[in-house]
Amino acid sequence: MPMKGMPMSTPEIAAPAPLLRQPRLTDEDAARSRDRSRVHHARRHRKRWHLMWLLVGPGILAMLGENDGPSMIAYASDGAQYGLGFFVPFIPVLFAMAFVVQEMTMRIGAVTHRGYGELLLQRYGPVWGWFGAGDLVLTNLVTLIAEFVAIRVGLAYFHLGAGVAVGLGLALVLFTLGGGRYWHWERAVLGLAIFNGLFLVAAILVKPHLSALASSFSFSPFPHGSVNTLLLLLASTIGATVTPWMIFFQQSASADKGLTPDDVRHGRFDTAVGAVLAGVFGVGALVAGAALLPHNGSGIQGFAGAGFPQALDHIAGGAAGTVFALGLIEAGAVAILTISASTAYAAGECIGVSHSFNTSPRNAIVFYAASVGVALIAAVVILIPGAPLLSIALNANVLAAVLLPVSLVFVLMLANDRKLMGAWTNRRATNLVAIAVIAFVGLCGTAYGVDSFLQSVHVISS
Amino acid sequence: VSSPPLNCPEAPPATGGRQPREGSADEGAQPAVLAATALPQEDVLREADGEELIMHLEPDQLVVETFRPVERAHLSSAARTALWTLRIFALVVSLMVLYAFIVNLH
Repeated sequence: MPMKGMPMSTPEIAAPAPLLRQPRLTDEDAARSRDRSRVHHARRHRKRWHLMWLLVGPGILAMLGENDGPSMIAYASDGAQYGLGFFVPFIPVLFAMAFVVQEMTMRIGAVTHRGYGELLLQRYGPVWGWFGAGDLVLTNLVTLIAEFVAIRVGLAYFHLGAGVAVGLGLALVLFTLGGGRYWHWERAVLGLAIFNGLFLVAAILVKPHLSALASSFSFSPFPHGSVNTLLLLLASTIGATVTPWMIFFQQSASADKGLTPDDVRHGRFDTAVGAVLAGVFGVGALVAGAALLPHNGSGIQGFAGAGFPQALDHIAGGAAGTVFALGLIEAGAVAILTISASTAYAAGECIGVSHSFNTSPRNAIVFYAASVGVALIAAVVILIPGAPLLSIALNANVLAAVLLPVSLVFVLMLANDRKLMGAWTNRRATNLVAIAVIAFVGLCGTAYGVDSFLQSVHVISS
Repeated sequence: VSSPPLNCPEAPPATGGRQPREGSADEGAQPAVLAATALPQEDVLREADGEELIMHLEPDQLVVETFRPVERAHLSSAARTALWTLRIFALVVSLMVLYAFIVNLH
């Protein structure tokens, strides 16, 4: 197995007295170079749209990957319990926050050509690197369980069981890993991620009142309920939008794709498009859920059975229920692929072995084993009879929100590291917004954690 | 930091840099391949391939370069203290969430 400091598979090439010593190349270099040659060709011939097509990917995948099963159910649940007010403008604000964070990770990946895990480990020491990886593995495992649950909920609408959900999720992971190239993996997952738009179709099918939609942009009415309920709502909605795996994923994927500082402008566009699409589709799930508000929507247990798709079927017709169920299956499937990829990147980076989709499984055993292994563990959990799947799924986003501020602080430090980033360090305005994001996320997560704990030890009443 | 790719079409022509070697594809000869290797043949890049491929990558983008560790940052004691405080705080709040989660299960 190739270790840190060693070329992956290719020994030095014996050349007869070269004029300039040629660096050792690997099959990973070869694959990445072929991708870059197409970028150079498109740039040289000023093929703008082709260049855009070649460079988009990590940003859209990170954002649409975060529009995962638990997130979409959280948005639909918000709509069913509280209606459109407050959340229609709040979700775009959260995705604007996500853009600020993800743009930094893309820039760091493009400039340093390294993933977040390895940069953290090398620049700030192994303790911080392993803490970051530990946070990631914990939240990823919990979130992956929730993704399988979401697929199961979607499939339950079609009278299919947990075994099919597990088989489908694992088959997708194995299928997408089979391409042997980052490009193939990215395009396969992008093709699947586009179907996140099914939530927008579901929103159209429930025929919302446009006047109600327009008036909801005033951030009112503010959700009612107990302080704990509101904090859970805020923490889980934030956790549904910005998470540790997105940071690991986009930085590593940008490096794996071979982005360079010349591509930062396109990387920003990619991230912005992803944020807009994710925001629109998220609002779609909210609007679809809000159709259930006058029909006792708050009583729907999304994970207990077919949940939302079944309820939409009764209220808005079979097409709305079917589209929402298919959307849940897609959201869970894409998230399984991106989250298992982020785990694989982190494992390879922190252990110091090959970590690229451009490497063959034989030369990157840890990378591929981590990708399949974490999905496999999550899949096994949902097959355990009586496992508290509902509670796990609901707490996945909250746990991500609580652990996120530490990761965000390191992203901010790396983005301001002049030795690494040179001219590509953060601007003052970016730093101010990023600090505000960290403070907001930290405050909401902490408030919920403390409030829940005090309730559970009966210091305060619920 | 932003160095142009070696011999990339947009980059200025490299002076004194790589030139066609004996055995390169340009001359139609067989490329040199290391024979004494236990690695499968398909994983060994031919020299001529390497010449063509390297020009599309930035020097610090090569795998051999990315595996070279970056210099360790020197954090002030105040920064270290702040980071540890935040870390411990996040762990404590996480434990609170997990405790509440377990209590709610019952």
